[in-house]
Amino acid sequence: MIMKQFCDKFDYQLKIDELRAILGCDFISLAIAKSASEGSEITWQYASGNLNERYKRIVLHSGKGIAGIVFKTGKKMVVNNVKDEMHDKELFNYPILVSEQLRSLVAFPLYQLSRVGGVLLVGYREEHRVLLGLYAELSQQLLDGHIGDFEIKGLSVS
Amino acid sequence: MFNNNIEPMFFFDAKGAVLAMNPAAENLLDPIDVLRIYEAQGGGEFCSTCRGYTTEKEQITCLNCYMKNDKDNFSSFQIYLKTRHKGVIPFSASFQEIDSNGTRLLMLRDLTRQLATQESLYRNTMIKNTIKAQENERKRISRELHDSVAQELLSSLVDLRVIKYLNVPDEVLQKLQHTEASLTRLLDQIRNLSVELRPSSLDDLGLEAAFRSHFKWIEKNYGVIVEFIAELHGTRYNNEVETVFYRICQESLLNALKYAGVDEISVRLFETEHFLEMVVVDKGQGFDVNKRDPKGTGLGLYGMKERAELVGGELLITSQLGQGTTVHLKIPTRREE
Repeated sequence: MIMKQFCDKFDYQLKIDELRAILGCDFISLAIAKSASEGSEITWQYASGNLNERYKRIVLHSGKGIAGIVFKTGKKMVVNNVKDEMHDKELFNYPILVSEQLRSLVAFPLYQLSRVGGVLLVGYREEHRVLLGLYAELSQQLLDGHIGDFEIKGLSVS
Repeated sequence: MFNNNIEPMFFFDAKGAVLAMNPAAENLLDPIDVLRIYEAQGGGEFCSTCRGYTTEKEQITCLNCYMKNDKDNFSSFQIYLKTRHKGVIPFSASFQEIDSNGTRLLMLRDLTRQLATQESLYRNTMIKNTIKAQENERKRISRELHDSVAQELLSSLVDLRVIKYLNVPDEVLQKLQHTEASLTRLLDQIRNLSVELRPSSLDDLGLEAAFRSHFKWIEKNYGVIVEFIAELHGTRYNNEVETVFYRICQESLLNALKYAGVDEISVRLFETEHFLEMVVVDKGQGFDVNKRDPKGTGLGLYGMKERAELVGGELLITSQLGQGTTVHLKIPTRREE
């Protein structure tokens, strides 16, 4: 069983289910970008703790939405309080926050061959839940900072 | 006539002092001013009440005061007076000599109502013109992006692809692939921008096609499903009417996305005997239609109504807290033959 995980395709769903239990967060999702030649669309492909299936329908482009912004900047994005930090009028531009009713979150860029290939979103349905301990816990859980084919960045507290 | 006339009247002697005023005039002015006018002897005291009149050059001026100016015609002009209850307000006035001694009569008519009507008429036409101008400008920029910028970019992309088949080193090839990818992305973005400004499918293919691609876009961008019932079978309408339908639909959907908190919206487009109609329904939070505390700018609903009126249509918005919202648009058809 363990061998299968390493030899075959990495089981992302299993991994994020596991992570959600350990980190004690409400929602984890993994967005993966299509290759540039396919139009570089970004979709949330795996989710754990989701309230509905709306995330599956969302297709983002570079620079749009949470995943799009992290994808474009290549930097971690932290929101401690969605209500304060995001204007009501802009909120609908982040559909995943609306459909999953997230109140605080952190989104990490996932690198593949020195380019951003995906985004890992850790979300909470309460304000101010992104704590410093989260980063240490995450780096402990992800072997040498890898999740599947991706290398997670932004784990160091700065 | 003097006592019962509801229009205020003032009588002046040749020098400009008040000889008499009727009860309507007394009621209109500040009691202190009335007293002052009655007590004073000689001219000048009416100036504490009169704030000036409107000329071609200025809204309120005392230049060439009507009292002292014999040359100009003052049979009908606008005057500003200080009143008891409403402060300084405009009146329509007529000022004329009524006998050979130089006694003159100033008659007033309250203008505030008429001015308000005029102002709202003016504002409505302004808004309509603004909407028209905005639509035309969007069309122009969208066309420009689609026809020249995107085309130009496409041809350079083709050039780039040609290079790949020439004899070039691998390093260059890889770099070329990156450039090609980012140019493709750029082209996509420009196309999106063009469609967002104004979909050319609206002009080329009609309402249903434009609606379908817009709903697909909404589903992708916001994860909200739009259930579309189209009963027009590709019928085309006046360009203006189609634009109004498209914009109002866009705005209604955006409102539902922002405030209703739903992930399904239904849109029905159909034709009745004399009307083209659209119904947009969501089963979301709803709102109190009569309450005046908009969540957004509050201009959206207003703009929708204006757009509908622009083509002689009618817009009905019904909503109740917790019961969802329905937007019903109805426009008389002038089908293009």
